[in-house]
Amino acid sequence: MKLPVTVALALRDLRGGVRRFRVFVACLALGVAAIAGVGSLGAAVRAGIAADARTLLGGDLELRQIYSEITPEQRAFISSRARLSEVAQTRTMARRVDNAQRRLVELKAVDQLYPLVGAVRLQPELDLHQALAQKNGQWGAIAEHGLFDRLGLKVGDEIVIGKTHYVLRAELKSEPDRGVQAFFGPRVLIALESLAATGLVQPGSLVYRHYRLALTDPLEAKNLADTLKEQFPDAAWRIRRLDEAAPGLQRFVTRTELYLALVALSALLVGGLGVAHAITAWLETRIETIATLKSLGADRGMVFRIYLLQAGVFALLGIALGLLIGIALPFLAAVPLGERLGIGIQATLYPAPLALASVFGVLTAALFTLAPLARAAAIAPSMLFRDLVAPGAARLSARSLIGLAALVLMLAGLLIATASDRGLAIGFVVGALAAVLTFRLAAAAMTWSARHAPKLPNASWRLAVANLDRPGSATASVVLSLGLGITVLTVVLLVEESLRKEIERTLPAAAPTFYFIDVQPEQREEFRRLVTTWPEASGYDEVPMLRGRITRLKGVPADKVKVSPDAEWVLQGDRGITWAPSPPKGTKLVQGKWWAPDYSGRLLVSFDAESAAGLGLSIGDSVTVNVLGRELTAEIANLREVDWSQLGINFVMVFSPGTLQSAPQTALATVHVPPGQEDRLERAVSERFANISAIRVEEALATLGRILAGVGRAVQAVAAITLAAGLLVLAGVAAALRRRRIYEAVILKVLGATRADLLKALALEHLLIGLATAAIAALFGGVAAYALLRLAMELPFRFSPLPMSLAALLSIGFSLVFGIGGSLRALSAKAAPYLRNP
Amino acid sequence: MLPFSENPPDSDMIRLVDVHLKLESAAGPVNILRGIDLTVAPGERVAIIGPSGSGKSTLLMVIGGLERPTSGQVLVGGEDLAQLDEDRLARFRRGTVGIVFQSFHLIATMSALENVAVPLELAGHADAFTRAAEELERVGLAARTEHYPGQLSGGEQQRVALARAFAIRPRLLLADEPTGNLDGETGRAVSALMFDLAQRYKTTLLLVTHEADLADCCGRVLQIQDGRIFADRPAGLRGAAALA
Repeated sequence: MKLPVTVALALRDLRGGVRRFRVFVACLALGVAAIAGVGSLGAAVRAGIAADARTLLGGDLELRQIYSEITPEQRAFISSRARLSEVAQTRTMARRVDNAQRRLVELKAVDQLYPLVGAVRLQPELDLHQALAQKNGQWGAIAEHGLFDRLGLKVGDEIVIGKTHYVLRAELKSEPDRGVQAFFGPRVLIALESLAATGLVQPGSLVYRHYRLALTDPLEAKNLADTLKEQFPDAAWRIRRLDEAAPGLQRFVTRTELYLALVALSALLVGGLGVAHAITAWLETRIETIATLKSLGADRGMVFRIYLLQAGVFALLGIALGLLIGIALPFLAAVPLGERLGIGIQATLYPAPLALASVFGVLTAALFTLAPLARAAAIAPSMLFRDLVAPGAARLSARSLIGLAALVLMLAGLLIATASDRGLAIGFVVGALAAVLTFRLAAAAMTWSARHAPKLPNASWRLAVANLDRPGSATASVVLSLGLGITVLTVVLLVEESLRKEIERTLPAAAPTFYFIDVQPEQREEFRRLVTTWPEASGYDEVPMLRGRITRLKGVPADKVKVSPDAEWVLQGDRGITWAPSPPKGTKLVQGKWWAPDYSGRLLVSFDAESAAGLGLSIGDSVTVNVLGRELTAEIANLREVDWSQLGINFVMVFSPGTLQSAPQTALATVHVPPGQEDRLERAVSERFANISAIRVEEALATLGRILAGVGRAVQAVAAITLAAGLLVLAGVAAALRRRRIYEAVILKVLGATRADLLKALALEHLLIGLATAAIAALFGGVAAYALLRLAMELPFRFSPLPMSLAALLSIGFSLVFGIGGSLRALSAKAAPYLRNP
Repeated sequence: MLPFSENPPDSDMIRLVDVHLKLESAAGPVNILRGIDLTVAPGERVAIIGPSGSGKSTLLMVIGGLERPTSGQVLVGGEDLAQLDEDRLARFRRGTVGIVFQSFHLIATMSALENVAVPLELAGHADAFTRAAEELERVGLAARTEHYPGQLSGGEQQRVALARAFAIRPRLLLADEPTGNLDGETGRAVSALMFDLAQRYKTTLLLVTHEADLADCCGRVLQIQDGRIFADRPAGLRGAAALA
C-alpha cells in the first residue's frame, strides 16, 4: 500500500528516534492519568452513592425530625402504605459500671425492623435483634471497637447509658446506613424499646428520629412523599428521597474532586512543558533533515504536517496510556476508599471523565507543540546550516500566535465550563497564567543577570554563571517546570498547615474545653452550681438551645430561593437556635439595634451578617423557622458579626424572648478547665447528670483534623504527580543536554579543567537555578495560598516556614540531582573518542 | 607572563620510549601504536605524516595526555605522564600544552572571546578576558569577539582555536591536521599564523598533516606507518614567511 507522502516521510524520519519521545509520552500520560483518574474515581464514588442510595437512606423514603416522635395518626397513615422502621439517634455518654472511664458515643436506638435494607455485621456473628434484646432483665448493646478500647471492656462486660445498664454482646463491624458522618465518638446500637428507660429522652433533648419507609413499588416513593406533604403540611419532618440519600457525602465528594482536579490539571500543564521541551529537542536533531527536505522542494506546510503527524501519534499514545491509568484507578481504589466512605465504589469504565481528560490532553499537547512545530517549519534552509547555535530563535507568525491564544482560551473555557465551582476555576486559570508569566520573567531576569554579571575571578564560578545564559540553555525550562511543580506543592502544604494551625490556634486561647449538651431546665441551677464552683473551671457560658430549620425567607419557600454557595449550609438541615433578652457577650452589631431587655412584642431575630448577605436578607425581612413542628416567623431586627473560629457559643439566629421561651428546650453550656483536669469534671458531671453529654472540643477538633488529613493526603498525592511531571521535564532537559555537556566537558578538560573544576561549575549552576526557583516558588506559592485561603475558603493565612523550607530544599535538591546526575558521565568521559577527526 | 619552563632548557621537550597502544574493538584488539621511540627538543618543529589510520592522531593524543598508552614511557616537559591521574594531567596541560584540532572543537555555546578566555580562567588569570581579547586581535578577529562558533567561517574558527591554544603560551603545541577542514588559501593563512605564533613564543610544535608542503615547513618530518615510525628525516626549512 502506498502511503501519502507526508505519512511516509514522517514514518521514515522516525527511524531510530522513537526513544527520544519517551519523556514526551510520559509527561502527557502522567497529566492525563491524573485528570482521568480523579474524574473516574469521582464518577465511581457518585455511582456508588447512587447504587447504595437505598441502603444509605435505609429505605425508599426517610422522614427525619428532631425531638418528638411522629403522631399516632401519622404513624397509622404511613404504616398503611409502607413498611415503617424507626431509628432514634443522639449523642450521649457511655460509661463503665464503676464510672472509672466514660466516652461520648453516637447512640442509635433501632426497632425490630431495622435495617430495612442491607445488613449489620457483628463480631461474633450474632443476630442483631437477639443481641439487643432484653435477656434476664438486661438489655444488650453493640458498640464499635473504639468504645471497647477506650473503656477497657470486652464482649460480655456491662456499660451504663443514661440510667440503664447494658451488656455489650458484640462488636459492631459495619452498619449499612452509616455513610460518612463526622462522628464524635464510637457508634453504640441499642433496642429502641430500651431508649425510654435510659432517661435520655426529655423535652427538648437533641434526639433525631428517623422513619424509614420501604415500599412494594419503589417508584411510588415520589407520590408518597407528595401525599405526605399534602396530608400533613405542618409536619416537622423533613422528607429525603433516594436522590438525596447522602447529601453531605455528595458535597464532600464534589468539593474534594474539584480540588483534586485542579491539582491534576496543574500536573498536566507542567507535563505540557515537558512535551514542549521534548519536541523542541527532537526538532533540533531534525534541522538538517528539514533543511534537506526543504531544499528538495518540501514547503513549510508539508514540514509542519510531517512533524505534527509525529507529535500527534505520540500525543495519542501518551493520552491513551494516561486514560488506561485513569481507568484502572477506580478498580485499584475501590476497596480501600469504599471502606473509608462506607459505600460500594462502582468500579467500571466511565466514558465522560475519560472523554474530558482526552480533550484536556489533546488541547495541552496542541498548545505545547504548536510553537516548536511552527518555528521548525518557518526556518529557512540556508539558516539551518549556519545558525546551529541558537535554533528556534525564529519569531512566531501572527497565525501561530492566534492559534496559541485560541488554544489557551479553549483550555481555560473547558475548565471553567466543566468545574463545579466556576469562581475557583477562574481563579485557577488566572493563577496558572500568572505563575507561568512570573516564572518566565524570573528565568529571563536570571539569564539577563548572568549576561550582565561582572566577570568573576574564579573560573568555576564564571562558568556556572555563564552557563545560565548559554544559547539553548535550559535555565528557562528548568525554572518553569521545577518552579510550577514546587509552587503547587508549596500551596498545598501551606494551605494544609494553615488549616491545621487554625484548628490548633483557637484551642488554647479561646476555645472552651467542654460543650455540655442537653442540660434540662430542672437541672440548670444545679449543673451551673457544680460547674461554676468547680475549682479549676473558668469562663462558664450557658444559653438555651433549640433546633430549628429555616423554611421560608421573605415568605418564599427556602428551597425556591437562590442563595450564594457559601451561605447554602445555613439552609441545609437543622440549625441550633437560641433566644436572649440582651446581646450575648462579645456581640458585635454591624447594623440595626438590639431589642429592649423587657421586649415582648412580635418575634424578632438577630442574624449573622455574613449569612444574611449570602441569603439576600436585610433588616426588616422575614424569616420563617420550623421549631418542633411549629412555623415561627420573625423579623430581622439587627445583623451581627460572628467569629466562628473562636469556637465559643455562636448562633446564626438569636431570637427575641417570648414565643421561644415557653418551648421545650435544653441548655448548652461551655466551660474551660486546664489540660489534665478534664476527666475529673467530666466524671463529676456524668455521675450527677446521666443524661448530659460532654463533648470535648479537643476530641471534636481531632476528628475534624483526621478528616482534613485524609483529604490532605489525597491532595498531596496529586500534587506529588505535578512534581513528578516537573521532574520528568528536568530528566528530559538533562537527557537533551547530556551530549552537549559531555562534549563541553571534554574540551574543557583538554584546556586544563579538572573534574573538580567541572563538578564545582555544575553544582554552582544548578544551585543557583534551584535557589532562584525556590525563592520564586515560595513567594508565588505563598501568594497563591493566601489568595486561596482568604478568598476561596475565607480563612486566615498563617505563614509557616516549614512548608516553605521543605519546598526550597526540594527545589535545590532536585535541581542539583538532575543537573549533576544528568552530567555525571560528562565528568568521566574519555576525551579521545570525541576529538578524533571525522 | 606565564612561567615558560620549570625544567632545564637543554632537557627534551618530548621523550617517548617504546610506546605501545592497543585498543579493544568489536572485531578484536587493534594495535594502534607499536613501539614508538621519539625525542623532540624544545623549540623544535616536527611534522608527522602518514596514511589514514597509521596512528598519527593517536600519537598526538598520547603526547597530550588525552590517551594512555598500553605500555612504554611518555615524558613531556620532563613530566612522566604515566604518573599523573586525570586531574593532574588536566593541570599539566593547562600550563604546558596547547592543542589545535582539524574540527576546531570550539565550544558552540560560548562566544569567541569566551572560548579563548577559558584556558586562562582555568589557569587562574584575573585578566583572562583582556588577554583573550588581545589574542583575538593578534589573530585578526578583534571584530568577531562576541560571535559564536556557528556564526564564524571555518578559517575564522580555526584562528579562534589558535588564539585559544596560544593564550596560555604553551611550551608545546600539538596540531592535528589544523588545515584539513579549510580550503587551500585559508589553510595557508592559518598555517602561517600558527608558525608565526610558535616562533614568537618559542613553542615546540608537533604537527600532524597530510600536506607535504606544510610538513616541509617544519625542521623535521616523521613518517608513521602501521603504528611505527617508518622514517625520521630533516625537512627543508621554508619557514612561515614562505607560506604567507
